[in-house]
Amino acid sequence: MLALPEPERIFINRIERGRILMASEERTQELIKGLYDAVVAMDEEQAAELSQVALREGVDAYYAVMNGLAAGMDKVGQLYAEQEYFVPELLLCSDALYAGLGILKPHIKAEEAHIKGQIVIGVAEGDVHDIGKNMVKIMFEAAGWTVHDLGKDVKLERFAEEQQRTKADVVAISALMTSSMLAIPQAIKMIRERDPKVAILAGGAPLTRDIATSYGADGYARNAGDVVQEAVKVLSRLKGN
Amino acid sequence: MPASRQEKMTKKERIDALLKGQPIDHVPFYPFVLGFCARNVGYPLSVIYSDSARSWEAQLWTHEEYGFDWGPIYGYASYGTWEFGGEVKMPQGAYEQAPTHITFPVQTEEGVYRLELPDVKKAGCLPLAMEFSRLQEKQGTPITLIFGGNFTIAGNICPVEKLCRWMIRKPELAHHILQLATDHIVDAVKYWADTYGGEQVIAQIWEPLASNDIISPKQFETFVLPYMQESGNKILGMGVKHIFYHICGEQNLNLPYWTQMPMGDLGICSIGSQIEIATAIKHLGTKAIIAGNIEPNILQTGPPQQVYRLCKEIIEAGKKAPRGFMLMSGCETPPETPPYNVYMMRKAIEDFGWYD
Amino acid sequence: MTERERLEALLNRQQVDRVAFFPIHGSFAAAMVGYSKVDVYENPEMAFWARLRTQEMFGQVERVSYSGGAFGAREFGSEVKMPTSEYSMTISLLKAAVQSEEDVWKLKVPDVKTAGVLPMMMRFSKLQAEYGLPISFNSGGILTIAGYIAGVERMCRWMIRRPELVHKLCRIVTDFLVAIAEYWVETFGPERMIPGTLAPTEANQIISPKQFEEFCLPYQKEVHEKLFGLGVKHIFTHVCGEQNLNLPLWAQIPMGDPGIVSFGNEVDLETASKYFPNDIIMGNVEPAVIQTGTPEQVYELSRICLQKGKKHPSGFFLGPGCDIPPKSPPYNVWTMRKAIEDFGWYD
Repeated sequence: MLALPEPERIFINRIERGRILMASEERTQELIKGLYDAVVAMDEEQAAELSQVALREGVDAYYAVMNGLAAGMDKVGQLYAEQEYFVPELLLCSDALYAGLGILKPHIKAEEAHIKGQIVIGVAEGDVHDIGKNMVKIMFEAAGWTVHDLGKDVKLERFAEEQQRTKADVVAISALMTSSMLAIPQAIKMIRERDPKVAILAGGAPLTRDIATSYGADGYARNAGDVVQEAVKVLSRLKGN
Repeated sequence: MPASRQEKMTKKERIDALLKGQPIDHVPFYPFVLGFCARNVGYPLSVIYSDSARSWEAQLWTHEEYGFDWGPIYGYASYGTWEFGGEVKMPQGAYEQAPTHITFPVQTEEGVYRLELPDVKKAGCLPLAMEFSRLQEKQGTPITLIFGGNFTIAGNICPVEKLCRWMIRKPELAHHILQLATDHIVDAVKYWADTYGGEQVIAQIWEPLASNDIISPKQFETFVLPYMQESGNKILGMGVKHIFYHICGEQNLNLPYWTQMPMGDLGICSIGSQIEIATAIKHLGTKAIIAGNIEPNILQTGPPQQVYRLCKEIIEAGKKAPRGFMLMSGCETPPETPPYNVYMMRKAIEDFGWYD
Repeated sequence: MTERERLEALLNRQQVDRVAFFPIHGSFAAAMVGYSKVDVYENPEMAFWARLRTQEMFGQVERVSYSGGAFGAREFGSEVKMPTSEYSMTISLLKAAVQSEEDVWKLKVPDVKTAGVLPMMMRFSKLQAEYGLPISFNSGGILTIAGYIAGVERMCRWMIRRPELVHKLCRIVTDFLVAIAEYWVETFGPERMIPGTLAPTEANQIISPKQFEEFCLPYQKEVHEKLFGLGVKHIFTHVCGEQNLNLPLWAQIPMGDPGIVSFGNEVDLETASKYFPNDIIMGNVEPAVIQTGTPEQVYELSRICLQKGKKHPSGFFLGPGCDIPPKSPPYNVWTMRKAIEDFGWYD
């Protein structure tokens, strides 16, 4: 769950905009909760509608995204990890998230938007199973990261090339097939040859944390619900080193 | 692999009996199978040559799986380069099979006279080979020291094209290198004989560069025969009982000279597919166990039925060898050989190799 | 006993001398005989010999099968990608035939004599018949096949938004599988049949047990029951991946007399035994360990599987948790056979 800014900051923001805003603190929280619930309830229409209302009523767009939509997706990740939600639910929750994001994102001021990080993500060469990777992408976007999605069956050298092009903080490689997991250490080697410091996550059904570590990855997450947290932990560990 | 008939002897019993010229239950399989073993157990190919413990493991496990006789071995054809001060590269790529030369110890005429005999305790791969032999001793498999024949070592000390030119233009240079190679062979075997006892050691000599694809029988007579006789006699003088000659490639015209090599009691002569088993028996069969000679190319790319038929023919011919016979590939089984083709070799022994 | 005798004995609910080693290998078999991965999907004769020879090498049960790779895809007009990459293992879906709701309503059961890989599958089955082996054809999984027709993500969304579309897909797949069964039984008779229900998309890594109950259970049950009605006695069902929450539902689907139910490494064999007391169970050494683990690890996993599986009253096969990856060291696969020699005998 993301931390809420102080109520005073919201008040100050409203004053800074120089217009009389309509939403009270109570109303803002009501709308935020509505967005959160819409995502968790897979309600695309509600997410879109409430996003429009939030804008109309002067709720800060970035605040609405992070504390409403993204927070809702965070909860969805938790429900997925607990096997309450499965892929169908996750997909529809993400549809709701994107429905709201599509409306709110253009209204986020550049100076407000705090990009948490940049990540290159893709499915290893030889593998076209991308549901897991797509789930992970959603979680990162929801959490405010910029995601450079290479797609599926990605030629190994593309991971290193894209990381170099974007200067991404993290590269995440997945494989569902046992055969394509063998591509991961090769891809990691190529990335490290060009940038030894970039954080690398590896995941997918046939992997375990031990295997990911033996491949040279810095982190591993068992499912999409845990992956953003793992990325943050890895980055903080690497910076500490 | 599952056997279709109960073995009557253990592998050790079979090989011991074979070497003593005693009856055995079935034709043994000599595993000239190296890089394939690494692939079989999931190790990088290079460990076969760079890591004695993992090389041992890869081979031992593969032998267990396929039911091979004899035991793991350590050696490679470019022996001599590293030992005399040159550099070799371990195999890494998909199409590499064994260590290859990067630089040769000798590039010029002057270099020939600067050559020194290596310290056999430290030179090149010999420490790895010694570690490997300790494992052979521990496991009770034949303690085998493998090195190039005198001529092959010479052709690994200086590039073989240079050696060939010198054989004609400056034969004294060729003889000098060959004498050094000979002395080195004797030194190395002595080290092994001192460590394990001469009668426990089998000296195995691979001589691919002496094939008639490179030199003539007359050149063999001048530049191979006397040196190999010298080292062979000295080796037998240390108490070594068996010398194993791998007569590699097209060497039909050299066979009359091979019959003059010191063999021991018994020798072992393995041949490539270029020499018929019957021909080998005719020339060498009274002095040596014959081994061979499945064509590696067929192993690698032929259909299994072809491999099976070929093995059947070879076994049927080989069983007539008066001093004994081992089924073996004509040269190293290529690492990319389909496992089922390797299995076919063993299956052919099951089906045709029993001595009733 | 020979491997053939062991299989026959278990299928007739008789005792055997030891646990048998059951093969699941497509592209691994290709590697064993020097064929390409594409060969064993696109050439039924090569597929047959690769599998039979590999089974012979490792002393496995005499059962070879050919599922066509991404079964359902080409039969209904989806585009597929061949496993040409070094890291690929099987045929995969490139573009689903169904892209919209309208496409679902237009779907028809294709001609089972000519659609997609079915002619190749029939050639394969003729070889099975010629060599006296059990004859196989595809009998599921319903959602796995539907996923190759409509795309898994699309199908997942429809499960919640437009369940009637998924029901339509499942109905078409059901009718398709029954038509295949009728054709095969008409050609060979039902006696030597062991069709295969392969169900990876049904795993809880993708769908919930509730979704399994609604969209898989009734249809898969219908297919199996109709197959038994045709005289088929045994079905091989591969319950792939994490399916612990689905087990009570799978247990409601008749598997045969007996069936052979194989499990991924995610399902404990003792749990499987409780849910399928009257069927042969099979499994379930983790394929990732077979591929990259040490022989000791494979041996130990095999030992544990044997220890648990041998207790099962209706019989047990040792096998991998799923298709053996093509780059698995052959020695690791042989180690499973070795574990059977050491721990698999019934006293």
